[in-house]
Amino acid sequence: MTEQHPSILRTVHAMDAAGGAQAQGIVQAQGQAEGQGQGHAKGQAHAKAEGQAATTYAHNTCRLCAPLGAALVFRGLRGGMPYLHGSQGCATYIRRYLISHFREPVDVASSSFSEDTTIFGGRANFRQGLENIEAQYAPELVGVATTCLSETIGEDVGALVREAQRARGDGVSGCPALVHVSTPSYAANHADGFHASVRAVVAQVTRKDGTRSTKTPDATINVLPGLLSPEDLRALRRLVAAYGLRPVMLPDYADTLDGGTWDEYQEIPRGGTGLEDIRDMAHAVGTIELGRTLGTEDGETAGRFLLREHSVPLFQLGTPIGLSETDALVGCLANFGRKDVAQEAVLRSTRARLLDAYIDGHKIASRARVVVVAEDDLAVGLVSFLEEIGAHVVLCASGGRPGRLARALERLGREGVKSMKIMSDTDYARVDEACDALEPDLLMGASKAYGTARRLGVPLVRVGFPIHDRFGGQRVLHVGYEGALALYDRFVNALLESRQSRPKLGYSYM
Amino acid sequence: MRKVAIYGKGGIGKSTTTQNTVAGLSEQGKKVMVVGCDPKADSTRLLLGGLAQKTVLDTLREEGEDVDLDDVCKPGFRGTLCVESGGPEPGVGCAGRGIITSVNLLEQLGAYQEDKNLDYVFYDVLGDVVCGGFAMPIREGKATEIYIVVSGEMMAMYAANNICKGIVKFAEAGGVRLGGLICNSRKVDNEAEMIGALADELGTQMIHFVPRDNDVQRAEINRKTVIEWKPEAPQADQYRHLARSIDENDMFVIPKPLKVDRLETLLLDYGLAA
Repeated sequence: MTEQHPSILRTVHAMDAAGGAQAQGIVQAQGQAEGQGQGHAKGQAHAKAEGQAATTYAHNTCRLCAPLGAALVFRGLRGGMPYLHGSQGCATYIRRYLISHFREPVDVASSSFSEDTTIFGGRANFRQGLENIEAQYAPELVGVATTCLSETIGEDVGALVREAQRARGDGVSGCPALVHVSTPSYAANHADGFHASVRAVVAQVTRKDGTRSTKTPDATINVLPGLLSPEDLRALRRLVAAYGLRPVMLPDYADTLDGGTWDEYQEIPRGGTGLEDIRDMAHAVGTIELGRTLGTEDGETAGRFLLREHSVPLFQLGTPIGLSETDALVGCLANFGRKDVAQEAVLRSTRARLLDAYIDGHKIASRARVVVVAEDDLAVGLVSFLEEIGAHVVLCASGGRPGRLARALERLGREGVKSMKIMSDTDYARVDEACDALEPDLLMGASKAYGTARRLGVPLVRVGFPIHDRFGGQRVLHVGYEGALALYDRFVNALLESRQSRPKLGYSYM
Repeated sequence: MRKVAIYGKGGIGKSTTTQNTVAGLSEQGKKVMVVGCDPKADSTRLLLGGLAQKTVLDTLREEGEDVDLDDVCKPGFRGTLCVESGGPEPGVGCAGRGIITSVNLLEQLGAYQEDKNLDYVFYDVLGDVVCGGFAMPIREGKATEIYIVVSGEMMAMYAANNICKGIVKFAEAGGVRLGGLICNSRKVDNEAEMIGALADELGTQMIHFVPRDNDVQRAEINRKTVIEWKPEAPQADQYRHLARSIDENDMFVIPKPLKVDRLETLLLDYGLAA
């Protein structure tokens, strides 16, 4: 297994001809310096060979920024309003990205730093912004996420939030609850920001004081789905409900970011996880936490917090993409829930149809050379799926922290991982370069991978986030047996279409 | 575990005082970790015997994020643990963010975990409280008590008063308190009385008056604390006394910073003009 990633420290600069050539040189030297099987060994050769590591560059990174993940989570809470502490552009960029993927209005508030705020601190802006949000949106919860600027000036946002909580009461007498998460983008990506926000909500909202906010039935189960599509969230909800369990899903933006039409404009769209349900997560019969990296390796996840603080049993499983990861989830649910004979029959038949599809399509799918570019958890899920359909994943790349993806893939225990090229903390310039040698038949990734696919003349099966150049990104189903079927159909058809379009004769029978 | 931050004007002798005090505490059987929060990375030199150790940020830069605690935390005099946060060269980058990154990393690596059995952690922070990064050690959950190193010189007192303003801000929002002023004597006339009076006005105490003694400089040339270099020296006893006073201290206050007029009156009443 090889792992290639640049040093975490790098500067981004415009690539003029000379600078670009120089930077390319550095990248190549780095590639050569890395031996086979060195993996994530410490003090890697490349770091030393580079000398001035800060002269490396990043060109079109495979990651988005951390507060974007936070905004997504806070948008998945009932009456939730994301509030970014920093300059205006952070909120604008995030809104633009979320809106063009989900095709719903997405309001994200900003404390709108100016030059003097940057110098003197953002306390006054923070208070004013909070007042404005309350007056305009009447939210139930305001999720405060930091940005690179407020982090760099060392703003103590935790203290600002506590101060506001003391001054106005938290979640009582009409004042919104406040949650704070630290999301400097230079230290984390959108997936990290997502998981950190889920953890912040759980750690700052759950209570176990003997009384329950809701008349929660015993069979409530916490589901921490990770960064998935609204369609995925709906599928998970159905799956959990099929076992007689009541899921409290955090976050749940299935309705807030993919709802119906409105007669009247809603300041904050209806839907999302309710505050009282989040408080009662401490009383659930268990927590299912999906994703094999969860944005951290050593740090505490939301599920681990619930286990440590409230003794809620924890089941950490992979993102359920493909047969085996879905089997693991179904097995876990079966241990908890009531057996519903009818539901189980439906599941079993879907599973059988999936297996049948795998067999029917194997002549096309097997040994297809595939490049996966996605955030860590999704990438691991996709590799698990691709390995079981016999595809040959030649490269798996992510914008996650160095080494994390490789370790998670290794734990997957699949044969193909050994010969797979794995790149973390990387960008599309490096993915492009790697693809030239790997000659893939197909790419799987978000819209940002289109440039690479176009250059190579191979199809891109769009998954994950963001999907900006196709319709229905919010309805892409990845998880469960049905998700696997949908992915498999799209995968096989993309290969067929690619083969069909190449010869001069337009075969209509493939 | 007690979490202590030492602040004071640049060049006042924070690092020297901190290390000598830590040597005193470790002599008394305390397990102490020192975290240097100064890009110059000279906060642990006397405890380590001059070993220029690799800073947290250098390690991060050169080896990536797979950092082990042992890479950055070195044992010094009598089992004290020494960490240098480090930072950019003068005129480059953001030293304040460096401290934030460094302290966060130490937490992630479990440097403060219970199994380390630490009695004390000391943050030695450069100069003044300027940007938010330098206030990182006194945010909630980090250092809970602060000592300010000061002398009878006007600018040192100005700085001490200014640092108190920072403490007030963080004391209201978090839990940090001022434990006292450490007077590191510059042989200014009426120095002890003046700092005593300043402490009174601030609502705190002068926890110890450290007299000026060239043994400190002699020990420094030998890359040692006075306690290690010449245990029988009178100055060593001064640091032992300071260490004991800190260990027994139970006076933790939110300071009341002075108006500049009042500070100047104090100087006129006690200082050279008196």
